[in-house]
Parts: sequence; structure tokens; C-alpha cells
Amino acid sequence: MLELIYIIFALPVVCAALAISGVLGSGSLLHWLNRLTAAAVGVAVILLAQSFTPTQPFNSEYVYLDALNVWVILIITALYVAAAWVSKSYLLREHSRGYLSRTPGLIGRYYALFQMFVWTMFLVLMVKNLGLMWVAIEATTLVSAFLVSFKFTRSALEATWKYVMVCTVGICLALLGTMILYYAQISALGAEKALSWLWLTEHAELLNPSLTKLAFLFIFIGYGTKIGMAPMHTWLPDAYSEAPSLTSGLLSGALCTCAIYVLLRNIVVVIPTVGVEFISTLCLAFAALTIAVAVPFVVVQRDIKRMLAYSSMENIGLMIAGIGVFSQLSIGATLVHMFNHALIKFVLFYIAGTIVQEYQTKNMMRIHGMIGDVPHTATFWLLGIIGILGMPPLGLFFSKFYILYSLFLSGHYLLGIVIIVLLAGILIGILYHALRMLCDKAKRKPVGDLLEHADTPFLAALLLGSVIIGAGIGEIPYLEKLLAQAVRIVGGGQF
Amino acid sequence: MNFLVIVLLFVVFLQTRIMDLRQAIICLSVQSAVIALACFISGIAHGEGIHIYAPGLLTIIVKVLLVPYAMLRLVSKLADERELISEINVNYSTAASAVFLVLSYLIVDKMLPGVEGRDILALSIVMILTGLTLIVMRSRAIMQMVGLITMENGIYLLGMAMTEGLPLVIEMGIFLDVLIAVMVLVILTNRLRLSFMTTDTNVLRKLKG
Repeated sequence: MLELIYIIFALPVVCAALAISGVLGSGSLLHWLNRLTAAAVGVAVILLAQSFTPTQPFNSEYVYLDALNVWVILIITALYVAAAWVSKSYLLREHSRGYLSRTPGLIGRYYALFQMFVWTMFLVLMVKNLGLMWVAIEATTLVSAFLVSFKFTRSALEATWKYVMVCTVGICLALLGTMILYYAQISALGAEKALSWLWLTEHAELLNPSLTKLAFLFIFIGYGTKIGMAPMHTWLPDAYSEAPSLTSGLLSGALCTCAIYVLLRNIVVVIPTVGVEFISTLCLAFAALTIAVAVPFVVVQRDIKRMLAYSSMENIGLMIAGIGVFSQLSIGATLVHMFNHALIKFVLFYIAGTIVQEYQTKNMMRIHGMIGDVPHTATFWLLGIIGILGMPPLGLFFSKFYILYSLFLSGHYLLGIVIIVLLAGILIGILYHALRMLCDKAKRKPVGDLLEHADTPFLAALLLGSVIIGAGIGEIPYLEKLLAQAVRIVGGGQF
Repeated sequence: MNFLVIVLLFVVFLQTRIMDLRQAIICLSVQSAVIALACFISGIAHGEGIHIYAPGLLTIIVKVLLVPYAMLRLVSKLADERELISEINVNYSTAASAVFLVLSYLIVDKMLPGVEGRDILALSIVMILTGLTLIVMRSRAIMQMVGLITMENGIYLLGMAMTEGLPLVIEMGIFLDVLIAVMVLVILTNRLRLSFMTTDTNVLRKLKG
């Protein structure tokens, strides 16, 4: 088990070092190194998941694996492998007519940053200590800053500046919260096993409630900034829209999932002390605000990637609402939603990047008639849009439905109705823009249908994966057990 | 320790008044040096083994030497080295710090009545809030970085006063993150200088909606 973890942590670093050193040039050798590293890590993660029994956590000095991390690790790995395989054609297209055409050496830098970004996310998911988790989350911000600013245009710089400043300040508040939690731990339990969440969860009832509540408020605001909850979301649309499309997909699908995982871990620690009521109120209020803020911006949006960013906010809001309800059904639905949203959002961002390359504009008002001109891209765009709006058969339908259902089951009728109305607004907004792009009369000729045949299997696999995870998870015994155990971990003793 | 608290409070108030970028960075370095001294005192009083000197040494290496060095190198490339905001704005931020001082004593007395090291806790809250106001009210990229590090110093001081230091692995991770964060911000500021011909962050207002 430990050997596999070493492999997972060693390979991306080696690949990043080789890519940045430039010994492989910037040709196909580099692309294949990147793909094979991701594939090898993917195999290692599958072996890891296979040798792991959901009910028996793996525990060593710094690494801890239980069903909850393994679930999120599977999400990250799926995106990692897919992103590594489709990045070749994306970068080559940028190389032939985009911002990379003047500086081909940047491909090596892109791969190095990409690998290190995924590496820091694995670090977030595997450490067994709230302090180290904070360090790893801050590291993801810093590595991804260079990915967001990768084009180094004026608007990319602006987005990165906001991203780093807002997220670092937010994460500093999370550090403050973590320190207060440590103080609560010291005054109740002594300095032994500092900030180990296992230890804290076992002895949570001994912590001072008012101190823990204060600590959790800071932690919630801090990691909430990183997740992208309103009103701390100001960096999110800028960063998602200015980053290269591959990175936007990872930021939205993988990084946001990691941040939610960290928040979940903290909630597990504090919930016996501060009570469900407090956390539930906090989560539901922020969730409703996040969805409400996203609606008007989606409806009047012109930038294709900003529209997807605000749709991410809507999904973030739903996931936080699911956590806020805090019942067995809603937590399970939230975990499934994390998986589905990551897969579909990655596909959508990738396709959006392809559309931008085809039409050479990000303005949706200038893109029309995609079905006639670029049928391949249009098909995947339509499938992705259907998926993200939560229409069956794609998986998001089921998780969205169960989150809303659990809202009503737990008696939050008014909030449930408000959220449904807001979701309808988002549906109308996105559908209006997407259908205008697909149909209507073409005024502007695209460069050509750039979506390559080599990429389509991966995108199709991601979409299909979401169908399977959403609808058929009960039919896969391993995943079902993993999910049930993960839900039990989040619930603590509550359910 | 009381003497250090007064010195640090003075430095923090000074920080809100300095307009020259170079002086602001030196002031930041002094501020970190005082915190390093406090680390040593706290280490000798409570620590054992490597914990006596490690936090202080790390603070000196990272926050007193490396971070100001990187920022000073950046400033030497800039043509215009002054903060752009008006005098009245500076007075506001100093007044805000004074209000924070009163507020933070109230917070500490309310949250933790009769706690040991009450002055240090209050001071660290002042530093956190002052750092935040510097980030919000200053327009120069470098001044915002100074605010960020002031805030980080405040959180670190709070942690030290309340818990006598985190485990060494976590502490080293935090220092590494601070160092990398400053490097990232220095590189970005340098890029701002190249693309916008200024490091005034008020020009960053194109992305909206």
C-alpha cells in the first residue's frame, strides 16, 4: 500500500522536473511523457483502490486513507488522466494558431505546472493532519496561480492577481481558525497528536464549544473562499475564464472538489462540539446566496467561460446545501454530485476551449450555427450542457434531484422552493445561450472542426462515467460500499 | 515581553503611515525581526529541544531576510517608488488601527477573560486587522504584499501566544508557503510592471460581470 502511495507522489514530480528542464525538447516525447505519467499514476490509484477495503482505513505516520479520501482521489485521478491525454491536441492547436505560437518552449512549463498542481491536490487528499492540509491547500493556490496566469496577457494577470490575493487572504483566515482549533485541542487534550483529525474526532466532546465555534467560523470563511462561495467568489469567474481551458476544467472540477473535501473534514471534527444546527444554518445560508448570485450573471453573460464559471458556482451552492441538510441522503447525493460535476464540467470547459479556438472569440453573441459548421464539437457541447443542467440521463440529474429531495425531506420547504426557482433561472440562461450558439444563422465562419478523433473517446468516457456514477452506482458493489462508508464517515455518529 | 509588545505596536502603527515602498519593506522586516525575538523568548520559556530556536531562526531566514530581499530587488526595478493614495487615506488607516486596538482588547477580554498573554493576543488581532486594511486601502501591489505579510505575522503571533507553537512540520510548511507566496506575488508584480507599465492595482479593473 505504502509503495503505491510513494509511486503516486514520485511520478508527477519526476515528470515535472523532466518537463521543466527541457531535456525532452517540446516535441511529441514530452506529450507522451505527460500522458504515460498520468496513466501510470492512474493505474497506481486503481491498484490502491483495489487493495483498499472501504471499512478498513489505511493509517501510517503522515498518510491516512479512508473511504472519503479514496472517493475524492478517484475523482481527481479521473480528471488527471483525461486532462493529460487530451492536453496534447489542445496545446498543439494553441501552438499552431494561439498564444503558444510565438513561444513553443512554454509547453514544457505547462506540463511541469500541471503535474505539480495535481501533485499538490494528491497531497491535500492524503495527509492526516489539519495543519498539513492547510499547507497543501495553500500550495495548490500558489501552483495554480502560474497556470491561471499562463498566457501572461493583461487580463490573465489581473485574474491571477485577484486569485492569489483573495485566496491567500481567505486561506490565512483558515489558518487562524486552525490555530484556534489547536488552542482548543491543547486546553482540552494537551499537545499530543497536534491537529490530527482522527484524534480530534475521537475526543471532540471535550473541546470548548464556543472556541470551536469561533474556529469553525474562520475555517468556513477561509476554505469557503477557496471553494468559491458567495460573497467570497470574486476571484472565481476571472480565474476560470482567463486560465487555459484545460486548467479551468481542473480548477472547477478538481480543486474545488478538494476544497470541499477539506471543509468536510473540518465539519466532521467540529460537529460533535458545535452541533448540527449551527453548521446547517451556516451552510444553507451561504448555499442559497451562492446560487442566487450566480443567476443574474449567467443570464446576461457574453463570455462563454464565465458562463461556465457561474454555473460552477451554482453547483458549488448545491453541494454546500447538501452538506447543510446533513442527512444520510443529502451527504450521499453531495458526494455523487462532486463526482458528476467534476466529470461534466471538465468536458464542458474543454469543449469551450475548443470552441474559442475554432471561432477565435470568447463572445457567445458572435458564435452561431455550430451544428452546421462544427458538428463534432456541437454534439459534445450539447451533451455537456444537457449534463450540467441536470437533465437525465446524465448523472447530474440524479444527484441534483436527491439534494433537492433531501432539502424538502428535512423540512426546508421555503428554501427548497427558492432554490428550484433559481435553478430554473440558470437553466433558462444557459439553455438560451447554448442553443443560440448551436442553431441560429452563422455569421462568422469557424476555422474548422478542431475537435480531434483522438480526444473524443476520453470526453465520451467522462460523460458516460457521469451516467454510470449518477444512475448506476447501486449496481457497482465496490463503489456502492465506498460511498456508503464515506457517508458514514461524514455523518460521524449522527446517522 | 511587554517591551516587545510596545515596540511591535509602534512598528505596526508606523506601517500604516509609510508611503515610500522601500521604507515600508524595511519596516516590515523590522516587524518580523521583533516577532523572531518574541519566538526566541517564548522558545526559551516553554520549548524543548529543537523548538527553542527553530521557529525564531525560520522567521529570521524567511521573513526578515529572504522576503524583504526579494521585495527590495523588485522595488529597485520600479521607476516610481511611492504609494499613490492621498494623505487623508493614510490618516484613516492609522485611525482605523487605533480603533482596532481598543476593539481587540474588548474581544480578548470577552472571549478569553483573564487569559495569560492578554496583550500579545490583542496585539496580534490588531496586526491581522491592520494587515487587512492595508490590503484593502493601498493601491500599490507591493503595499498589498506588505499588508498580507503583516496579517500573516499577526496570525503567527496569535498562534505562538496561544499554543506555544505548532508542531515543527506544520510550521515549516507554513513558512515554505509564505516564501513561495511572496515569490509568486513578486513575479506577478514584475509582470504587472512589464505589461501595464505600473504596479498600481487600480488598473486591474477590466474583468467584470
